[in-house]
This record gives sequence, C-alpha cells and structure tokens, in this order.
Amino acid sequence: MIKLHWILLGVITLISILADFVFLADYPNKHWWSYIPAFYIIWGFIGCVGIIYISKWLGKIFLQKKEDYYDAG
Amino acid sequence: MPVEMMIPPALYMIAGALILPMLPKNLRAGIFILFPMIALAVIWSLPDGYLIKTTFIGYELIIIEVTRLTRIFGIIFSLIAVIGGVYSYHQKEVGQQSAALLYAGGALGVTFAGDYFTLFIFWELMAVASTYLVWARRNKESEKAGMRYLLVHLFGGSLLLTGILIHVGHTGSLLITRLIPDGSVSSWLILAGVALNTAIPPFHAWLADAYPKATVTGAVFLSAFTTKSAVLILIKIFSGWEVLIFLGVMMALYGVVYAVLANDIREILAYHIISQVGYMVAGVGIGTEMSINGTTAHAFSHILYKALLFMGAGVVLQTTGRSKLTELGGIAKKQSVTLWLYMIGAFSISGFPLFNGFISKSMVVAAAGDAHFETAMLLLLLASVGTFLHTGLKLPYFTWWNKSKEEILPTKPPINMHVGMAMAAFFCILFGVYPSLLYNYLPFAVNYEPYTLYHLTESVQILTFTFIAFWLLRTKLAGEPTIAIDTDWFYRKPAKLIERIFVDGVTFIFDYAEKVSLKVVDYFVQFGRNPLAIFFKEERGTDYHADQHRASTQLLTVLIVFSFVLFALVSLIM
Repeated sequence: MIKLHWILLGVITLISILADFVFLADYPNKHWWSYIPAFYIIWGFIGCVGIIYISKWLGKIFLQKKEDYYDAG
Repeated sequence: MPVEMMIPPALYMIAGALILPMLPKNLRAGIFILFPMIALAVIWSLPDGYLIKTTFIGYELIIIEVTRLTRIFGIIFSLIAVIGGVYSYHQKEVGQQSAALLYAGGALGVTFAGDYFTLFIFWELMAVASTYLVWARRNKESEKAGMRYLLVHLFGGSLLLTGILIHVGHTGSLLITRLIPDGSVSSWLILAGVALNTAIPPFHAWLADAYPKATVTGAVFLSAFTTKSAVLILIKIFSGWEVLIFLGVMMALYGVVYAVLANDIREILAYHIISQVGYMVAGVGIGTEMSINGTTAHAFSHILYKALLFMGAGVVLQTTGRSKLTELGGIAKKQSVTLWLYMIGAFSISGFPLFNGFISKSMVVAAAGDAHFETAMLLLLLASVGTFLHTGLKLPYFTWWNKSKEEILPTKPPINMHVGMAMAAFFCILFGVYPSLLYNYLPFAVNYEPYTLYHLTESVQILTFTFIAFWLLRTKLAGEPTIAIDTDWFYRKPAKLIERIFVDGVTFIFDYAEKVSLKVVDYFVQFGRNPLAIFFKEERGTDYHADQHRASTQLLTVLIVFSFVLFALVSLIM
C-alpha cells in the first residue's frame, strides 16, 4: 500500500460519510442501526476484526489439526 | 395427456455424454460445447407453462415443467456448461467430458422435474457423474474423497427416497408441490435429503472435502450444479419454512469462519460456496416474492462468479502444481491476466457496485429487512464482510501478491482457460451494470432498485473498512500447514475404529482359524507319515520305515496279542 492508496481510501470514506450525513440525513430509517452514525464503517471494521480473531481462536482451541490428522491412525 | 414429441433439455446433454466417446479425440472438446448450446436454445424457446406429462404405474409424472423459475435456472446451468466447456477445451480425457455433460444433464433434469420420480432419477445421476470429476484427478486423496463424496450423496439420496415414499404413501401423488411445515416425517426427510445437496450444516462437509480434490476443470462444474439445483428444489418445496432462515444465516457465517482457517485456495472457495448458498437458503426461508427473486438472482450470479473464481484457482493449480497458500505467492506479475480475471469474480462475490453480486446478494439482504428479520439481515451483512475478506483479499493477496518462500515459475496456461474466464467475467459485469437483463426474467415482478445512494454508501463503507482491517491484520491470515476438522470428522475419524473392528478384527479371526487348521492338518499328516512321531520326539519329521522298526513292531504286536490272550484266559477262569 503506497500513500496514494491510503489517500484514495480516505477520499472514498469522506465522500461516503458526506453522503451519509448530508444526502441521506432524511432517509427513512427502517432499522435500529440506522440511527447509529457511520454504522456500516463500524460494522465492516469490527466485523472483519471479529471474524479473524474468533475464527483463529476456534481454530486454536479445537478445529485446527496437523495435515496428516486423518491418516495418522 | 400423451407425451409430446419434444426432447427434454436434459437429454441433449445426456446424448452428448453418450456420443462423445465415439468421436475422434481432437473433435470432442469442440463438439462438447454444442450440446449445452443446443440445450440453452431449447430452454430459451420453451414457453412458460410448457409441460411434458406421462403416467407410470398409475402415477402422473411431469418430466418437464417450464416456469419462470425453472427457466432461469435452466438457462444458467446451460450457460455455465458452455463456459465450462470452453475452459476445459484443452482437456482431452473423454471420461471427464462425458461425466461433465451427464452431470449438467442431471442438473437440467432436476430443474425441470415436476414429480419426485423424475427428480430422484436425475438427482442420483448428478451424484454419480459428479463423483467421477473428483476421482478423475487420480491421486490417493481424490480417490478417498470421491468415495466419501459418493457415500454421503447416496445417504442423502436414501433420505430423500424414504421421504418421497412416505409422502407418496400419504398423498397418493408423486407430483412436487410446496410442502407446509406440518412436522410430518416425510417432509423432514425430504428436507434432509435436499439439505445435504444444498450443503446445509451439518450435512455440508462433503463439499469442502471433495471440491478441492477434484480435477482443475471438474471443480468448475462441481461449483455450479449440485448446490444450486438443490436451492431450486428448496424454493419449489420449502419456501417460507422459517427454519431455513436460521440455517441459511448459520451457513453464511459458518463458511466464513472455516475460510479463515483453510490453507488450500480451492477449499477457501468451497467454504464460500457454503457461505453464499446460505444467503439463498435464508431467502427461501423468508419466502416473500422479493426474497425468492433475490435467491434466484443470487443463484444465477453465484454460478457465474464462483465458476470464475474456481477457474482462476484452477489456472494457478494447473500452472504451478500448487494450491496451498503456504506454498504460493509472488506470481502476480507472471499471471496478471489470470489475477485480474479472478479479481472480477472476487469483486462480484464481494458485492462491489457494477458487479453481479451487488445486484443479487443485496436483494436477499433487503428482503430480510423488509420482512422484519433484522438480526438475519445484520448477520448476512457480516457474512459479506467475511466474503470480501477471504475471496477478495486473503486468497489473492497470499496467492499472487505476497512474497513466496521460493521463486515460482508458472507455466503458460492454455488460451482457452483465459477465454472461459473472460466469458464468465463478461457476464459478471454485464448483469452488474444492467441488472434489468436478469431482473426481467426472475420468477416475480421486481420492485427493487440496487443502485440507490443508501445501498452504495452502505457497500462502500463496509468494503473499505473491511479492507483496512484486513491490511492491519493481514499477517494473521497467512496460511498455516494445517487442516480444520469439520463435521466429516464424525465419519472419517471413526472409520479407523470401524476398520479395526470389522476389517482388522475379522481378518485376525480368519488368520487364527487358518493357522489352527493348518496345525491340525500338519498333525494328521505327521501321524500318517509316521505314527511313532506321536510318542517319540526324535521321530518327528521322519517317515515310517517298516524295516527299521520291524523287530520292535513285532515285539509290540506279540505283547498286545499275548496280553489279549492272557486277559481272555483270566476272564474265562474267573
């Protein structure tokens, strides 16, 4: 990731937040999470971190085995 | 009604499978493509409501039932068979070519079946034909995985058949109709049989077990037919069964968790079939017109982008001989065409705007929200985070971009592989840019607009921050040389114990009985050769020589006769 990529991501995020708060301010909120500002940013980030850590944790406690697990007696 | 003189689309494929072995090797791959093209044209031309009916031992059968729902599935099955045929053009093994056409024929047969008998015949045809696509890899792993795949599908077929028989016993009809969730045994058995092909946990492990071990080209066909034809049957029979919402959401997340742990690139894709089919299963469970439209559209999109993803992974396997993240990396510049065609599939499955996943997945998610299943909607959005994380980020990053431990020099793939990928990529973009091309053919009138500012904002925010989280934590996602145990543990691990009891145990008993028998025989042989061996150790192993033992034998005989005479005299006197 070079600096330009991060700048682009920042611009995209700013535009989406702008759209969220300006153009979608009067959007009929259909769900409870629609009242949380920038909910999808939080959901995307926390969701991704959660998926990685929870899956890895499940893997460590009982799911992951050696590659020859089924062949080794 | 008499059988009309119209050939069912499935038979074009099956005829192709039978004709191909008789053709010269160099013509087969080209002619292969003609059969699904003919089937596609026939399906396109069949009017809605078209039926082919007949009777069989007093039961009414509907061999073909064309509706808006079955037509769209028939079209995508035929289209992907054409694309798969192009991708497999270099592959000259007739067994695989015929098996792929039989498999596609089975899928079309299931699609248009209006009765359980026809459904079951084609259902089993799919199981057998697809097994060959696993076995055709011809290594020890695929041989074992293929056998497990076949046995599991035969088990699923047995559940389905049992359910059908009970159902027919109760209703007296073989016709497929929507079942109500009344708790009847037959309904649950039919659901279990269909759920196995849909890869609903805990009946899903066959998919992640077998697909990564199939041939490069076989996996493309496998990714398209079995689960999606089962989704169609779910729509026909079980729409509105709310238990499917729970199962669908669970599937969507289940696949995501296992994809984190998977090291084989085709296993990652296989777990994401389970995850994506979860959206469809949830859509069936919601059961509204919008959710059924969403499920159908998503099945259509999924077949295209998943085939594209498997094609990309297949090129990697074909050209490097490797499929594990721990053994790959650093080939982005050497495989830029493959990489970017793959990325079109990745953008599609991740729901990027202008790609087909965006216009179909969102419909299922929106349908969940509209039907007030808010938790389901939120969890499906979470699953889409996982989809982008693995298919769009983890897999391409560690396969192509990340530094490899050693330099990998991929060979050049056959041009037809890229042509096949380009065809699938074209359709992924076409339907993403012009959703009405798909929406106009969905089962119900579509009242959904995917390109709203709200939906675009939602998608951009989720995708951007999924990417940022991935980039920060990417080292944690590096492949590990491990496997993750799944529900196949329950039949793979005890297999050793069962083998010990029923194979090793029985073999031991037979061995022991054989040894004892041989000893007894040896004893009698010894006795026959030399009766003295019973009394004298030194006589064992030697033959009886009458001359050598004449004196002692005569003495023994005299003694015996004398004893007899003596006893006789004594007994007379007494």
